[in-house]
Amino acid sequence: MERIFSEYFPYVRHPAVLPDTVVDGVDRVRHPVVIVGGGPTGLALALGLARHGVRPVVLEADDTVCTGSRAGAFTRRTIEIFQQLGIAEDVMATGLGWSQGWTWWRDQEVLRLQMPHDEDQQYPPAVSHLQNWIEHLMVEASAARDAADIRWQSSFDGIESTSDGAKVRVHSPAGDYTMQADHVVACDGGRSRVREALGLSLQGTRYAGRYVIIDVRMETADLPSGRRCWFDPASKPGGTLLMYKKPDGMVRFDYQLTDDEDEAVEMEPDRVFARVDAHLAMLGIARPWQPVWMTLYRASAMTLDSYRHGRVLFAGDAAHLVPIFGVRGMNSSIDDAHNLAWKLAWVVRGLAGESMLDSYSDERVYAARENLRFAMKSAEFMAPPSPPFRLMRDAVLSLAAKHPRLAQLANPRQHSAIPLVASPLNARAEGSEAFAAGPAPGEIVPECPLRFDGEHTWLTRLLGPHFTALWFGDADRAPRIDSALPFEMRCLHRSSDSSDNSDGITRLWRKYGADEGTLYLVRPDGHVLGRWRGVPAARLADEVHAALARVRSQTA
Amino acid sequence: MMDAGQLDDAYTRLCHGLTEAGEQATPQVLARLVLLLMQQVDDAQKVGAAIDEALEGFRDGASLRR
Repeated sequence: MERIFSEYFPYVRHPAVLPDTVVDGVDRVRHPVVIVGGGPTGLALALGLARHGVRPVVLEADDTVCTGSRAGAFTRRTIEIFQQLGIAEDVMATGLGWSQGWTWWRDQEVLRLQMPHDEDQQYPPAVSHLQNWIEHLMVEASAARDAADIRWQSSFDGIESTSDGAKVRVHSPAGDYTMQADHVVACDGGRSRVREALGLSLQGTRYAGRYVIIDVRMETADLPSGRRCWFDPASKPGGTLLMYKKPDGMVRFDYQLTDDEDEAVEMEPDRVFARVDAHLAMLGIARPWQPVWMTLYRASAMTLDSYRHGRVLFAGDAAHLVPIFGVRGMNSSIDDAHNLAWKLAWVVRGLAGESMLDSYSDERVYAARENLRFAMKSAEFMAPPSPPFRLMRDAVLSLAAKHPRLAQLANPRQHSAIPLVASPLNARAEGSEAFAAGPAPGEIVPECPLRFDGEHTWLTRLLGPHFTALWFGDADRAPRIDSALPFEMRCLHRSSDSSDNSDGITRLWRKYGADEGTLYLVRPDGHVLGRWRGVPAARLADEVHAALARVRSQTA
Repeated sequence: MMDAGQLDDAYTRLCHGLTEAGEQATPQVLARLVLLLMQQVDDAQKVGAAIDEALEGFRDGASLRR
């Protein structure tokens, strides 16, 4: 039901090339990692692996990035991950940051959504952008640093798993071949062929509600950025409608079909265009516009029970399908890739055992279930799955303008990072309760601007492809850590500049509940592994060693 | 006091329960729920005000549907 009217931007088309290493239909090089699928998940994983010193092969069936725009809202956590992958600046330069949402019932505003934002943040809570432009930036970044061997027009055509890897069949106009890999990661989307080849299926709920999604090009300078949502508007009685301003003079509309509407009729372009006209007329917007892309969407809430099947791993939509309301689909997929990149790279480099990859599956299945829990609530509010759901939903909307607490039931529960509070990797830090503030084990480090090494920077920029100890104290009193895993110490000591917070350190200490001698141990993906406060320096080194050893023993 | 998450969970639980009970039984279940909550609120003025507000716009046989 997808229809393309014009290109979002001029796409770069890539030729099909048979690699030099392929002889007689066999790739003679054994690859540490083969990623199936060059969408946002696969490309984010490729850039992440490269950052940790592993160069993967990416198999992409098409000759360019996806030609529909698909995901449109990128959350702060995703932009912080993009920063680690080296594309955040380009994303921010071309995207539209937003922090507000407006919800109307008929002609009454019933909820004003203000997403969490404060002066410590480097990025806005959300950025409106095009998935395919992000893919384009990732492909460029990969080429610039030779991060991955991206094989275009190369589709997955079968797999044989073995105890120490897998043999993958590749189909390409340049010639078919097989290749050996130590690990295969399926990032091939909701209709994953790898998943199918392994006989696995997603478990969960498919909703009956149908949505028409259309992107149009028009003058948007005077339109606000943010999420605008209507329940039962005059332009679509009985339905719901979402409207987002997109960068580069575009607007996305997303509206629900009612049960009695025939989708074949409703997906006729003239019918859809008339809906857009009706809505613009309701808003008093009279100007020309051109269609770009449209599709029909049905929400699913499903996941695999495990994302590790021997040497084959699953990430993104291949692993889980999350309803779009609350923007948890692509954003959670990028989180998958970020969680997997360091673990898989360290396994490849012999720094950790295969079972390290079980922690990827445990943590991200847990995150998927949390994301599904929130996204299902949003989907059920947007498109009630039964008459009683609808009865209750309409009652909420009718009371929402006067009752702010009830109005919160209409909150779309936008994506944020899922805290991995029960992760088996977390340090058993008895001292963690001693903190009055700051992230607990499993949580993401909160952002804070500061001066470090004489440079103005942000806390998340101190993280790298290694465990990071944030040491609150003088450098010469820091514990001496001898780690077999990649590790860096960052000393955040108070100096004469700290008294007036001109270096940001006082605020950072307060935000992290720190005093002299506090230490946070942070994973490469930004989750806190453990934290200690008021532990004597001599014992602190032992505690950190034990926490790192625990990661290795969990995985050896 | 219920926090936003607890209110949300209670709402979702009720919606699923009503769906299980079916559309026909829904008014009866809701009537029983209202009576139980009235007892628990145990405040004639609050209950009376809630009744008045719930009836706003419905006094002449109107409905939420348009």
